[in-house]
Amino acid sequence: MYQNAIELDGISKRFAGHTAVRNLSLTVPRGGIYGLLGPNGAGKSTTIRMILSILLPDEGKVTLFGGEPASRDLSERIGYLPEERGLYPRMKVAEQLTFLGEAKGLTRTRARELTAQWLARLGIADWGTKKVQDLSKGMQQKVQFIGALLHEPELLILDEPFSGLDPVNSQVMRDVVVEMARAGRTVLFSTHIMEQAEKMCDRIAIIARGEKVVDGRLADIKSEAGGRHVALSFHRNQEAAARVLGDRALVTRVDDYGASAEAELAAGAASDELLRALMNADVGISRFEVVEPSLQSIFIAKVGVDAATAPAREDMAHA
Amino acid sequence: MHKIWAVMRREFLEKVRTRAFIIGTVLFPVLMVGLTVLPILLDRRETEPKRVAVVDGASGDVGMKVTDALAASRREGVNGAARYSMIRVPARDRVENVRDSLIALTGVHQEGVESLDGIVVLTDESVDGGRIPYLGVNVGSMADMRKLESELQTTLRQERLRRAGIDVFIGMKASREVDVVTQKVTAGKLTGESGATSFMLAYIMGLILYMAMLLYGVQVMNSVMEEKTNRIAEVLASSVKPFEMMLGKVLGVGGVGLLQLGIWGTTAMLVTTYRVPLAKLFGASPDALTAMKLPSVRPDLLAVFLIYFVLGFLLYAAAYAAVAAMCNSQQEAQQANTPVTLCIVAGFMAMFSLLNEPSGSLARTLSLIPVTAPFVVPVRYSLAPIPIGELLLSMAVTFAGMLFVVWVAGRIYRVGILMYGKRPKISELWRWVRAS
Repeated sequence: MYQNAIELDGISKRFAGHTAVRNLSLTVPRGGIYGLLGPNGAGKSTTIRMILSILLPDEGKVTLFGGEPASRDLSERIGYLPEERGLYPRMKVAEQLTFLGEAKGLTRTRARELTAQWLARLGIADWGTKKVQDLSKGMQQKVQFIGALLHEPELLILDEPFSGLDPVNSQVMRDVVVEMARAGRTVLFSTHIMEQAEKMCDRIAIIARGEKVVDGRLADIKSEAGGRHVALSFHRNQEAAARVLGDRALVTRVDDYGASAEAELAAGAASDELLRALMNADVGISRFEVVEPSLQSIFIAKVGVDAATAPAREDMAHA
Repeated sequence: MHKIWAVMRREFLEKVRTRAFIIGTVLFPVLMVGLTVLPILLDRRETEPKRVAVVDGASGDVGMKVTDALAASRREGVNGAARYSMIRVPARDRVENVRDSLIALTGVHQEGVESLDGIVVLTDESVDGGRIPYLGVNVGSMADMRKLESELQTTLRQERLRRAGIDVFIGMKASREVDVVTQKVTAGKLTGESGATSFMLAYIMGLILYMAMLLYGVQVMNSVMEEKTNRIAEVLASSVKPFEMMLGKVLGVGGVGLLQLGIWGTTAMLVTTYRVPLAKLFGASPDALTAMKLPSVRPDLLAVFLIYFVLGFLLYAAAYAAVAAMCNSQQEAQQANTPVTLCIVAGFMAMFSLLNEPSGSLARTLSLIPVTAPFVVPVRYSLAPIPIGELLLSMAVTFAGMLFVVWVAGRIYRVGILMYGKRPKISELWRWVRAS
């Protein structure tokens, strides 16, 4: 059994006018859920396309399943949910899925069986004979999702899988993903929503502007970022609170989310000092907890606010 | 192989199930039957004879003879109904007055007016000169005029002979016309076709090739466009090689084309084979139909036709697929496909020049150009034999050309199908083709 499902070795991809991915090296071990995080336009989709050999890297090497050079010939072992959903609008759901299964090398009979199983599993068995164009967006996404994992791939690659889904459907898919990871398959998914990644991933990589910012086990990244973070909520006197949190002797950095905030304590400052200061400011504290840094705050600390906006580019070679 | 097959089957089944395919497939035979039966039905309906007046300003009894001859004229096929209902108006020295007053009665649809359909004006001058004025409502109908001319021809020729004092029997015999009766010979055997039928066959074949390339080529284009605009291409590109995607698509649409042509061909054959009972069913006399000779399609001609159909289809369908792959919208593709469509039109036009000279040097040159050969060679083959060496060379060249176009198209397709944004320039296309 191989060790690493995906190894990227210094890959770069340039499109006319800009570099989408620059000298990126990552290792995704077999099994578990790996999050590829980054702001919009960071190069997540381009990276994924190179893993799938839809695009070829200009430089560097992609190796899959512990040493095999990436190629379309491996596509039978990979499932892919693209960011831009793509289904034949006039085809019936079940036939569409059967075809997608066949395109992955399943026999027609097997593809039919699996289609029926998965439609039942996701509670849309009645929709098999409906045309895709008659389905809602969320429903189409479920169909696309089934299309990605129908052939029971060892490696499942999901590009922004949960965007546009309601909480219930989101949960259904999350359960499927977690189950697949437990069964020893590898799941790589990209997102720009940190809370999702935080809940699901064992390992993450953050990329911005085509370059890797940090990667590794989520727990390691968090402990490395330090344990001196305070999560707090308050419900009055915003200005006074802002003044306290602006005191650089107490707090080095604040991620202000409006009703709540996450503060990183300054070196030498104790958490009870901050608490006392806030109580004196009479801000109506409803939560004060010393926590590990959230992925969101790590992300912002590492990437910086300006990097979170994608650089303008002429060439829209891909979305 | 399995994947090409899956792509092909999907394409075929989805296309065959569309309303457009079903309507197109059914509509064509209906039209065929309609075109065969309709003229018969219409002809039967039109048994009312035409009312024609002869303004007789000529000396002697020529006016009488013309009137009688026209009155005796019968319609073919419709149980010998009279073609004309005649009146003769004697009009010595006042031809113009009579003619003008009759014009006032021609083509008038009013109660109480006995309307005329036409007026034949006879004067000594017109009888001698052979230019007979006819004023009528149906002067636009070529068939009516040809009929009238031939009726007048015989009567007036006899009259002139009589006036010149020549025996009419001898005179008519001497002035009999020459008619070349054609029969086609192929490879030392009589085929039983006349010149007209072999021309018809060549023409119909050319038309089918032209229509099929255009119709199914554009279908391939739209189908690729659909995959690109709906972003299915990316899902597929992660599992199927672009070349397999393209080939499956082209073959799928090709299968649809062959099926549709097969259905049409079979119906056409059945309709023509059973046209006599069919005509009886509609109450028409079968004589009207038996005049229509049918070309027989020899098996070797059918083979040549099919070979070039397949070669031509693959070549053009691949080109259309490449066009679609480099465009972003239906509208853009419609513009960008002009060069491909022009090639097809050029091939079709080239056929016309061949109908006169099927073995000329132009014909031989066009047979060796892959773009025009699929149209030119079957048409040539139906008109005149092609030396086997020349035929094989043409096939080899067309096959090589087809492979080349498919290869180039495959390369363009591979890059284009996942590219969104500006349409590439020629120089960029060249880079796509060369990129490994």
